[in-house]
Amino acid sequence: MRRSGKINFLAQGDKYRIYILFVVIFGFMSIFAPKFFSVFNFTTILNAIAMNATVAIGFTVVMICGQLDLSIGTVITFAGCLTLGLQPLLGFPGSIAVAVLGGALVGFLNGILVAKAKINSFIVTLGTMTILQGAIYQYSGGNSISVTTDEAFAISDFLQVSLLPLLTPRILITLILVVAVEFMLRRTRAGRNFYIVGGNRNTAWLAGINTDRYLIGAFVLSSVMAAIGGVVSVLVSTAATLKLGEISLMYVISATIIGGTAMSGGKGGVLRSVIAILSLEMLYTGIILFGLGNEVKIFFAGLILAYVVLYEAYATYRHEKNLGQRPELMKELATRLSTKEKKLLGSRGA
Amino acid sequence: MSDNRGPAPDGATDGAATAQADTRSVKTGSLSSLVNTAGVYGIALLFLVLGAVLQFTGAIGNFLSPQNLLNIVDAVALVGIVAVGMSFVTYSGNYADMSVPTTMGLTGYICIELLRYGFIPAIIGAIGVSLLIGVLNGFVVGKFKANPIIWTLAVNYVTMGIIRLVWVNKQIYPDMKGSSPDVVALFDAIYRLRFFKLIGLPLVILILLVVIGQFVLTKTSFGVKLKLTGSAPKAAKLSGIPIETVIMTSFVLAAFTAAIAGLAVTSLSRVGAWYNGAGYDFKAVTAIVIGGMTLAGGRGTILGVLGGSLIIGILNNIMTLIGIGTFSQDMVRGAIFILVVGINAKSLRSLGRDDA
Amino acid sequence: MKKLAFIALAIALAAFVAVPLIGQTAAQKANLAASLKIDTSKLLSADNQLLLAPSTDNRKVPKRPADPNKLPETDPLHWYDMEWAGWNVKPTNIPKSPMTGAIGKKVIFIVHGDHPWTTACILGAQKVADAYQMEFKALSPNWDKVVQDQMIDQAIAEKPDMILLIPLDAKGAVQQARKINQAKIPLHLFNMLPDAAALNYSLGWTGPDDFGQFRLLARAWADELRKRNPGAKSIGVAYVQHAPGGSPFFARSFGPISELAGYAKEIKTLVAASPTPATFDANTTMQLVSDWITKYGDDLKGICASDDSAQALGIFEALEKAGRNDIVVVAAGNSKQGMDLVKDGKLFGITYQTAEGDGALSVQYAADWFNGKKLAVRQNLAQHIITAEDVEGFYPPQW
Repeated sequence: MRRSGKINFLAQGDKYRIYILFVVIFGFMSIFAPKFFSVFNFTTILNAIAMNATVAIGFTVVMICGQLDLSIGTVITFAGCLTLGLQPLLGFPGSIAVAVLGGALVGFLNGILVAKAKINSFIVTLGTMTILQGAIYQYSGGNSISVTTDEAFAISDFLQVSLLPLLTPRILITLILVVAVEFMLRRTRAGRNFYIVGGNRNTAWLAGINTDRYLIGAFVLSSVMAAIGGVVSVLVSTAATLKLGEISLMYVISATIIGGTAMSGGKGGVLRSVIAILSLEMLYTGIILFGLGNEVKIFFAGLILAYVVLYEAYATYRHEKNLGQRPELMKELATRLSTKEKKLLGSRGA
Repeated sequence: MSDNRGPAPDGATDGAATAQADTRSVKTGSLSSLVNTAGVYGIALLFLVLGAVLQFTGAIGNFLSPQNLLNIVDAVALVGIVAVGMSFVTYSGNYADMSVPTTMGLTGYICIELLRYGFIPAIIGAIGVSLLIGVLNGFVVGKFKANPIIWTLAVNYVTMGIIRLVWVNKQIYPDMKGSSPDVVALFDAIYRLRFFKLIGLPLVILILLVVIGQFVLTKTSFGVKLKLTGSAPKAAKLSGIPIETVIMTSFVLAAFTAAIAGLAVTSLSRVGAWYNGAGYDFKAVTAIVIGGMTLAGGRGTILGVLGGSLIIGILNNIMTLIGIGTFSQDMVRGAIFILVVGINAKSLRSLGRDDA
Repeated sequence: MKKLAFIALAIALAAFVAVPLIGQTAAQKANLAASLKIDTSKLLSADNQLLLAPSTDNRKVPKRPADPNKLPETDPLHWYDMEWAGWNVKPTNIPKSPMTGAIGKKVIFIVHGDHPWTTACILGAQKVADAYQMEFKALSPNWDKVVQDQMIDQAIAEKPDMILLIPLDAKGAVQQARKINQAKIPLHLFNMLPDAAALNYSLGWTGPDDFGQFRLLARAWADELRKRNPGAKSIGVAYVQHAPGGSPFFARSFGPISELAGYAKEIKTLVAASPTPATFDANTTMQLVSDWITKYGDDLKGICASDDSAQALGIFEALEKAGRNDIVVVAAGNSKQGMDLVKDGKLFGITYQTAEGDGALSVQYAADWFNGKKLAVRQNLAQHIITAEDVEGFYPPQW
């Protein structure tokens, strides 16, 4: 009885780990970091995470399927470049549509290559990442793209208008997407199927799930979310820089892992990834508010990531080690054994 | 019942089929690896022929000149060195070592700092510190089965943070640390030394590493253990192979070659900087995977990895000679990468040898 | 009587209000006078150069063509909007100088990212800020524009007397500048020359004139190329470009290309490319240049690089392998490796890019503005080409 209770607790602790991390960082920074605890500061933090949080939504679903998408960073930039590059030609609605559809196409190709051609997703997306990087440079001619018309400024201003404290349209877009996908994953059959596909592809297939379709769907979702993240970001800044998504890849991977989505698949959630991004961003902002440099940021980001990976690995390690052992039985037997035998058992047990 | 779930993933078989004996991997062994290696060199040969044809049609010049061919191998020497070591990690079923960039950077810093105590101590010290990173990676991944990509990524961050904290965001120069000029000259020669005025030291090191690596992988008991660990870790463990030690050794080897490449890069750019190894992680993975090593582990050869590096080198060379801009080169590189690896995976699968 | 009392009351009230005002003004005046007495012209940077050297560029600003993009890339005016940004600004709600003196003012200094160059730049800025006893705060977003935007928001909230900013991206600067402008905080941009529209919202810009420097370098390079290839009808050259995404990518290749199209027509561009995927990796550059030597052979007489450290070392590695010492190489400077190469007689010339001076000039601009000096919208850093003749004078390197 105790044993199952303990495992339950462990599992629960695991489940809430990211929320605990969030509370700890939030509490620490609110108390100690100068000027951290203010509506204004929270707004800047939310603005800063809007893009990466959007990107993390789709990326998490790919990870839940047990796959990896290294192309998200370049999809962000490519979508951003298309949005502003095509705007003079198509107007904003047209260029945004092309950018998002372009993202979907990249995701579809990734998905087809992974699901149908059965190439490892690490390789496929590393390849599409390289292709898109070249395409971005080629398309932009080596210069960032901007639109500085009054319309562009108006859109930018609108996206940053404060609807309620902490809530701007830009943040609202991210929020809606997070809630929608989280709902889909938790409450719909399709959503649960992603977990089954990620947990064990063969089992999923045997259970009658079209695994290929879910894999392709996950990659399309990932690229579309990355594209939306890029689109909204360039709409706010009215300029698409060629390094827009460069840092996002490693950031989003780290945050998703810290959030508790396992790289082996079948586990995790979108909200958790977003909370992880929020926690990391609060940590970073706090560090800067303390007047410390980026090297401290990088160091702590690495440390948290290392801790999470190690913790999870260690938990599995313990679990596997104890698998099949029955401590209660051993204890019961021990009471009925002679001291000599006890000694023998003790040395073994330890 | 209408079955709309698509084709079965590999390994998933309906009821009765499972009763059949799985004979797929019976005929593997040396033949499989030979086919694999020949495949890689087949592609390399294809590119060479392409270059030659382009030369004879007059589209490009001097492709087959000894100098150009030497340029090709020179250009991939550093990536090749990193790839040979990292391929042991891939072979052990642990994908890649993402801590390679800062391992390279750190090696440079340590070596330059230690140059004042002499050349040999500096080299040994620098490589020694890098090996510690390999030991750490290998211990955590081997013992606790932590996800190798994420763990090494985290180590990469932490090491980067430490380098920048310790050297307060400065880069350091070999000749400004009070070391004797002779020692600095020796350090400068790590990359620049040329035998017979032709063959650079990095190339010699690469060839040595490939020969030793291939020997270790195919002829030693460690190679056998590594193969079993990579292809079937559980079976390996049950048959008494100390997979923790095997995996740790593979990470230490990766750190070792990263350290050597780090010394060469630092010698070439005459500066110890935290960004010195940037990009070598993905470059090495690309070479490894094009070289026919599968990310699932236990498959591929070191010779193949050399071939993978060469393919990249020849491809880049031909594209520049034709006059393709570097931006378009990125696109071609990415497409060929997916294509080559895809074909390789498909051929392995159709031969019934692999499911990765 | 009643009236008199009322007047007296009014006078008293006026005095009550006015005296502190006048008193404050007096204090401010004293502060201004003290600020004006501070002399920063003798400050030195780590390389023993004057920290604040005036620009030696006295080229006239040309007229903007109707549509620069319609001109060929070899026409200097094609690059008008990049090269001459800042000369035709439409100031939008630019704050007026308070004329209260620089002493004690609070400035927030936001750079682009961490690099040894940046460390030196902040050091130079700090020197001038210390001289004026300013409250100086430096922030680095580590090359991430999202973080830079966030830092700008935070800087605005702190309500400093001025924000000094290296925009991470020339075009992204427009919206950043507009935002700071709307918050009514004086803004000064430096180092990265932004899109012309950004300067509508800022007091001004200081920094290296990349195009100007490279035109200067191009002429010195062309002279040397002519000297080494007397009477040659065609001299082929190649450009190793900067990373895409900013003015250096264009200034350091199309600057010389468009300059030489007029100055030395016999110099022909064979190729211009940015080493990918690692622009500043010596090995990658070596590979690219080796291939160029194979492709162009003896036609290749000169190489212009956008970086004098890793790129230049890669170039010389390739040249040495091919046994080519006839190729004239120039580069943007001035790193230690670059200066060493100049000293060894390998690199022909590099541009003087003072990192400390870059930061220092921006803070000096801020101080001058607080002191009420009349300032040009744009101030370039001093331009100089370092060659073997004077390279000794630039040691020790700033970073």
